[in-house]
Amino acid sequence: MEALTNRRWYSGMRTQEDWWSVWLGLAFFFLGLLSVTGVDLVGWVTYPSKWGGTVPLVKGLNPLGKVYQSLGPMGSLAATYIIFTIATCIGAASMKWNVKKYLAGWTIIFIITYAVWVAGHHVFLAANITNRAQYGLSYSLSLGGGGSYILALLVGLIIGNFFKKFAAFLSEAAKPEWFIKTAIVFLGVKVGYMAMKAADFVFELAITGAAATIVAYLIFWPGTYLLARKFFKLPRKTAAVLSSGISICGVSAAVATGGAVRAKPLIPVMVSTLIVVYAVIELVILPPLFTATLINEPIVAGASMGMSVKTDGADAAAGAVMDELMRNRKENLDGTKWEEGWITTSAIMTKIWIDMFIGLWAFVLALVWVYKIDRIPGEHVPASEVWHRFPKFVLGYFFTWFAYLGILFLAPDLTDSAKVGAVPVEKGMRKLFFMLTFVSIGIITDFKKLAEAKFGKMVFIYFIALFLFILPVALVVGYIFHHGMTVPTVTP
Amino acid sequence: MVEVIITHDGNNWIARNEILSVAAETLEILDAELRKLIKQKIYCKTNEKMRVLMTFDNSTFPQWMRQYAQHYFNRIIEVDS
Repeated sequence: MEALTNRRWYSGMRTQEDWWSVWLGLAFFFLGLLSVTGVDLVGWVTYPSKWGGTVPLVKGLNPLGKVYQSLGPMGSLAATYIIFTIATCIGAASMKWNVKKYLAGWTIIFIITYAVWVAGHHVFLAANITNRAQYGLSYSLSLGGGGSYILALLVGLIIGNFFKKFAAFLSEAAKPEWFIKTAIVFLGVKVGYMAMKAADFVFELAITGAAATIVAYLIFWPGTYLLARKFFKLPRKTAAVLSSGISICGVSAAVATGGAVRAKPLIPVMVSTLIVVYAVIELVILPPLFTATLINEPIVAGASMGMSVKTDGADAAAGAVMDELMRNRKENLDGTKWEEGWITTSAIMTKIWIDMFIGLWAFVLALVWVYKIDRIPGEHVPASEVWHRFPKFVLGYFFTWFAYLGILFLAPDLTDSAKVGAVPVEKGMRKLFFMLTFVSIGIITDFKKLAEAKFGKMVFIYFIALFLFILPVALVVGYIFHHGMTVPTVTP
Repeated sequence: MVEVIITHDGNNWIARNEILSVAAETLEILDAELRKLIKQKIYCKTNEKMRVLMTFDNSTFPQWMRQYAQHYFNRIIEVDS
């Protein structure tokens, strides 16, 4: 098997999921951007809407672009499948995956994704108090789009925990981090044109997100490390890897720290297995909990989520579920219609800041470990380590964000035509990749792994650190920096 | 600069390139073995100080994990002839 090494600054551009999320995201971003020339090359993406009651199922799926309406539900679904199959298979081939296996797994995951996406838009699940009457209902669950996300996760978890051979078969294509990073690049488009409406709000989110980064590195990490070392007597390297995984950004932090302290790879592998399972537990528990308790502080809830939920996929997914649940609850409570996406963005913005500094943090740790703790004679830590650990999808996110912001500020007369290409990307494709993430996270999560003896006390350290330390502190810090920030309302 | 790929097989760190291959339980021993080999056989013909770049082979990690993190570590050691 060919070695996967980072020898040069451009290493991995063709072989890593992180870079491929940038390529996929930017490819569709540029296709969308062509709408400023009057051509819509992305409106074929099919998107579900509420159905059931007085609305037939056939109305539950439609292309987003006006010029593609003639495709109808099945035509646009086929176009979406074919185009994304080609795009992701090119990525899979370039990353030297088993393309046949990927294609089979991708096809099944794609079908499951759209099936639960449409099912979740049944009005009994999705309609709320303000619109259920128009569908002929007197009661509904008011989950909005959250119903689809919850169903997707449930179906994925059922496969991952009860049909393990099937889950193993799908695993070549179940790539939640690749999917979510691509979705986050698409999200940049949304943030770009959301900033037009509320530039101050976006700026404040960005700044407070940066402040949260300090919390993750300087409060969570030392606290968890102390807990692991003093109370649970974990070896130094294991404690460092576990602390980064719990405190910073999950698997990527655990691996970065493992490398920095020169731990045997088995340690970050074990810790990562634990992180993935715990992240899903958080994803299930936190959105409904925060929705029930923090409805008046939605951005506090989003930012706290970003600080607490590890792995980008689970955090973005939890933010998206909470976005749907909170907006629908708010509308039920007092009729206020919050704009979609702000709560998700607040959860992701915090996380992205945390992600960006992992390279620097691991570099500092490596310096401390190599020169002060291990003191291996003649060893040096190359500064290029910071770049190799930098999350590349962030580049795509900021590029799409600033590109749309630039168009809207510098060429406002192009705003309407730019929006034609932006909406299918930031709404249709972003949510499709969110849905793919939900299904995939479920498929790769096996709760039984928590019971495996090899984790020993790490399971308890994780539980205590997460629920009794990180979560409460995240809420306090989220409140300090974000209290009083409310979501912009939908303008009629 | 000599470049080697470093990996771990569960028991030992292994450093290798087309010409050499060294395995040891700890990095410290690995470095010592590598230095010995480089001095004796291969590279240090002159009295120059040589650097060895070790790039970690990320395929050591299970495939499901690589989507989360694509870099473990690179390290440099110095070899005095």
